[in-house]
Amino acid sequence: MTVTAREAIDHGAQATRPEAAVEAFLYREARLADEARYSEWEALWDDDGVYWVPMGPDDDPHVNLSYIYDNRRRIKSRIAQLNSGVRHSQTPPSVMRRTLANLEVLDRTSDDRGTTVTVGANFALYEYRYDMNIWAGRVVYAVRIRADGELRLVAKTVHLVNAGGPVPTLAFLV
Amino acid sequence: MTELDTRPAPARTDVDDLVRPDRVSGAVYTDPEVFELEMQRIFREGWVYVGHESEVPEPGDYVTRRIGREPVILVRSKDGEVRVLANRCSHRGNRLCNAEKGNSSTFRCPYHGWTFTNAGDLVGVPMRQGYAERFLAVREELGLAPAPRMDSYGGFVFASLTAEGISLREHLGSATGAIDRLLALSPTGTLDLRAGWMKHRMRCNWKMVMENNVDGYHALFTHQSVYDAVRPAKVSHVPTKVEVYVRDLGDGHSEIDYAAEYTRLDDEFVWFGRAPREKLPKYVAAMEEAHGPEATHKAFVVGPPHTLIFPNLFLAEMNIMTVEPLGPGETIAYTTPALIPGQDEMNERMLRRTEGAMGPAGFLIADDGEIGMRNQFGLAAREPEWIQLSRGIETDIEDETGIVNHDKSAETPQRGWWKHWSSVLNGRAPGAVSGSTGEERA
Ligand code: FES
Ligand SMILES: [Fe+2]
Repeated sequence: MTVTAREAIDHGAQATRPEAAVEAFLYREARLADEARYSEWEALWDDDGVYWVPMGPDDDPHVNLSYIYDNRRRIKSRIAQLNSGVRHSQTPPSVMRRTLANLEVLDRTSDDRGTTVTVGANFALYEYRYDMNIWAGRVVYAVRIRADGELRLVAKTVHLVNAGGPVPTLAFLV
Repeated sequence: MTELDTRPAPARTDVDDLVRPDRVSGAVYTDPEVFELEMQRIFREGWVYVGHESEVPEPGDYVTRRIGREPVILVRSKDGEVRVLANRCSHRGNRLCNAEKGNSSTFRCPYHGWTFTNAGDLVGVPMRQGYAERFLAVREELGLAPAPRMDSYGGFVFASLTAEGISLREHLGSATGAIDRLLALSPTGTLDLRAGWMKHRMRCNWKMVMENNVDGYHALFTHQSVYDAVRPAKVSHVPTKVEVYVRDLGDGHSEIDYAAEYTRLDDEFVWFGRAPREKLPKYVAAMEEAHGPEATHKAFVVGPPHTLIFPNLFLAEMNIMTVEPLGPGETIAYTTPALIPGQDEMNERMLRRTEGAMGPAGFLIADDGEIGMRNQFGLAAREPEWIQLSRGIETDIEDETGIVNHDKSAETPQRGWWKHWSSVLNGRAPGAVSGSTGEERA
């Protein structure tokens, strides 16, 4: 399921804060991305995960080009490339710190794989590589609370404030 | 008493000191005067790729672009004609159209309300009494400035901001074959460039972005992470093992040509992740219906071009790349897939392939951008003066297709690029507008 940025914005009125376990999971995801802990970050994903960075808030990935639209297989490839040590655009990795704010539960659904909590948040990301780049945007996560109690990422959609471009190199985990 | 000479140094009018057959000076990438001369001789006087007809399918559709540094509107006017108009109000110069794309029958300037049709005619002037008797003349004379020359080939629209010069066909020379090769992969012989453009800000010279695309030497090193960690190269990179050629097509155009190798293998879609026909039934059927089974098989084997069209268009197999130079060390690279009209199953695969390889997060181009930036950093060291381009110079062969080298890693394409670049900057290219640069800019 995909919540667009527009829907994420419209949802605000009845939104609540996510439960502590989900919130902690998202902060951990942010920290692993910041610290270029690629394999640990990859392990957060479930096998049907989709990592998406669209070029416009109303874009349809089946019709429109995105900056990133990784299915689970491509997430694996992306991480393997980053782990190779010769992904030049991340060698050495960007030094990064990001903050998540305004966390709100936008949706909650259940199926035989567990309960999926959709969380919207704003983020600011400070990336240092030769000089400082500041990235910001809306991020929408779908976190699955599995029957075994484990949490996994099913979707992460990043609506960059500067999605309209031009954007500098985005080879790190945004 | 000695007087200080405060006059600015004379602007550069040639590049004779910077280019040799086998090397170029690092200044070609860094010198602001070279950049200024390029803006005049390449981007004002020459043919420049602007956009694609598929981006403006209906009357009123427009996209805004730049030719060099100058804003233009590519629009399909109400008469169905595609036009390239200066994006500058004829009253006092306000940028008229501020959206990236849209549809409109008129453009109304927000400053004083002058209104132009989408063919560029001035049709509305508020408070016209202010012009008294002169009003009709004002309205007649002050339409939007059309690009003095505009033409297209295979849907690719090019323009020149100077009236005189060679025709587009002369400019394209044998590079039309590359556009034909791309169109041969479409059942309708047309393309759709509306998936959206990735705009990637690169901190390097625009020529570095362009000519790197035909550098067959860098892949194993710059892109080692892809081959090591993700998937092996589509065909070997060892020159003696493959029939992959590099070619200087003349007129600044050049390519890496996989056709011979693919033909030798006689396998379809090697260039498309070796997708089997069964995965693309609709596309295969439409192609066979349009072109017959034999031509279809050939098109699927030979695949799309990997061809650089001087100065700013790169046919990147199933992607289109163009550049907008911002300054000697800053460029925006634009990339979109060359979608095939009506072929959704094929097009969605293409979107995913473009995202995988190209743009700011692409497995390939993110690293090309990084290497380009570091090249720009390195060139800040002024010694040694020359950049080496002699690789393969002794094994170049001239035939009816151009200057070919059977070693993919030969720097034959770059030599062709620089030869043409210097003749254009020196005002010696065919159809050059003589005596129109140094003086004019002073
Ligand atoms: S500048 Fe456009 S109406 Fe005055
Ligand atoms: Fe490359």
